[in-house]
Amino acid sequence: MPSIVTISGLTKFYGTIHALDNVSFEVPQGSVFGILGPNGSGKTTLLGIITDVVKANAGSFTFLDLPFSADMRKQVGVLLETPNFYHYLSAERNLQITAAIKGRGENDIDTVLKKVNLYERKSSKFSTFSLGMKQRLAIAAALLGNPNVLILDEPTNGLDPVGIAEIRNLITLLASEGKTIIMASHLLDEVEKVCTHVAIMKKGKLLTAGHVDEVLANEDIVEVSAADLAQLETIVNTLPELKQVKRQNGNLQLFYPIGTANMENINRHCFNNGITLSQLQLKKKSLETKFIELTN
Amino acid sequence: MIIRLLKIEWLKLKNYKTFWIILALLVACVVGINYVYFELVSSKNQASGVVNMVLGTPFQFPDVWHTVTQVASYMLFIPSLIVVILTTNEYNFKTHRQNVIDGLSRTEFIISKVLVIAALSIVSLLIVFLTALVFGLSSEFSYFSLANAEYLFYFFLQCFTYMSFALLLSLLLKRSGLAIALFFVYICIVENILVALINRAVSGNVLEGPGYYFLLDASDKLIPVKSLQKMMQGKNFLPPTINLLVATFVYLGLFLFLSKRKFETADL
Repeated sequence: MPSIVTISGLTKFYGTIHALDNVSFEVPQGSVFGILGPNGSGKTTLLGIITDVVKANAGSFTFLDLPFSADMRKQVGVLLETPNFYHYLSAERNLQITAAIKGRGENDIDTVLKKVNLYERKSSKFSTFSLGMKQRLAIAAALLGNPNVLILDEPTNGLDPVGIAEIRNLITLLASEGKTIIMASHLLDEVEKVCTHVAIMKKGKLLTAGHVDEVLANEDIVEVSAADLAQLETIVNTLPELKQVKRQNGNLQLFYPIGTANMENINRHCFNNGITLSQLQLKKKSLETKFIELTN
Repeated sequence: MIIRLLKIEWLKLKNYKTFWIILALLVACVVGINYVYFELVSSKNQASGVVNMVLGTPFQFPDVWHTVTQVASYMLFIPSLIVVILTTNEYNFKTHRQNVIDGLSRTEFIISKVLVIAALSIVSLLIVFLTALVFGLSSEFSYFSLANAEYLFYFFLQCFTYMSFALLLSLLLKRSGLAIALFFVYICIVENILVALINRAVSGNVLEGPGYYFLLDASDKLIPVKSLQKMMQGKNFLPPTINLLVATFVYLGLFLFLSKRKFETADL
């Protein structure tokens, strides 16, 4: 797949603080690209540089192999950090300004307001909105003009559980329409549920980037259990190619090098040795485990 | 591009009450103060006799152009205040960021603010022109004339320079309260002190010297205070108008250039 955004060697200092340290990666077309990292890891700085509100000290980035110009930003929907609108104007009038700047999307205003459930409040002033409503208006502004690329920084910030689920569904829907979505978040659950690709950052450094399956699965984990756990443990230890066995919550976790776990062989081996398994499951390593492992 | 940028700024302004109220105040103040002055010189009493001896007939054509622009130039802090509020609002709401994110280039953002300044200068000029016209036509023995109408141009230039200074200050300070306070203290007090100090340091006389070229004072002196000149019995300490014009254009260019560079290079 061709890449939509290519980032190479981005570096940014805030005084003596090294906010971004030589970060490079590519965002493939049609992917949902999650940028993960704890608070202060440089996610927003990175997206700020791409959208020209922050100047990089070094490095470059391209959009469809061209330098990212103001005219190109008009084709991209962006929600960066906080919802920024004129407090004294209504939701609708604020979106009129966004549409005028983008030079498109004037007819879209009602549609996007309906998409984020703000249509009934379109004449209310922005200053009267709750945090969640402000966030939804910012998402509406990003959707104006039906852009093919979306950059969303913490899109579910300030939303209630229903709102979070709605936005997650919206992102899945947009991805199924073939749009490329770049999303920064510190909510692992959120990224794990919708992203196809992920980059993990810490203190301005890129720790890893790639397809979710590649980043997460560097080993196979098979969970097994049986009535007699002690006997099961002695038996599984005689399995070939097994790296490690761990006890966890009344289960045993068997660790294999990636792609080598064979469920049938494990089942047969246990059965032949006189043990019937009550559970046998191949598990992916959760993003949370991976994240904590990488960032600690 | 100009039409598009003006349209964007118009969308920001047309429903902003504060803007319209301050604009109304500008009209009220320009008309009101000129009216008080007009009543003072045209009423037939002893006090007005003395005033007329000193001032002549300030509201007759062609003097009225000078008089009204001179009085109105004390009100320049009002449109400047509008510029400070509009610019620092963008920082408060972080919409200066959002505008750029949405696809305005940084240069376009500054151009759109300069366009607002140009529009406000034209509006101020129009207010002053109409005020002068009405008072000129209401004066006795006054027949319409465009002689001395160059003061209208000087006034326009002064508006543009004051507001560009206000823009630069707002971009540098970002916070409305601080920018407003510094702007007022500077134009009302600090500049007068500096002008006097420079004059004294160079010529030994606070009323004479290159101090008049200092920042906004150059544009101020394009429309000199007539009564003050008369009281000095014709002795004119002010630099030639052409010099003041050149100085004003240089400062105007400088304010706009610095504003542009500041917004183009800073982290927003």
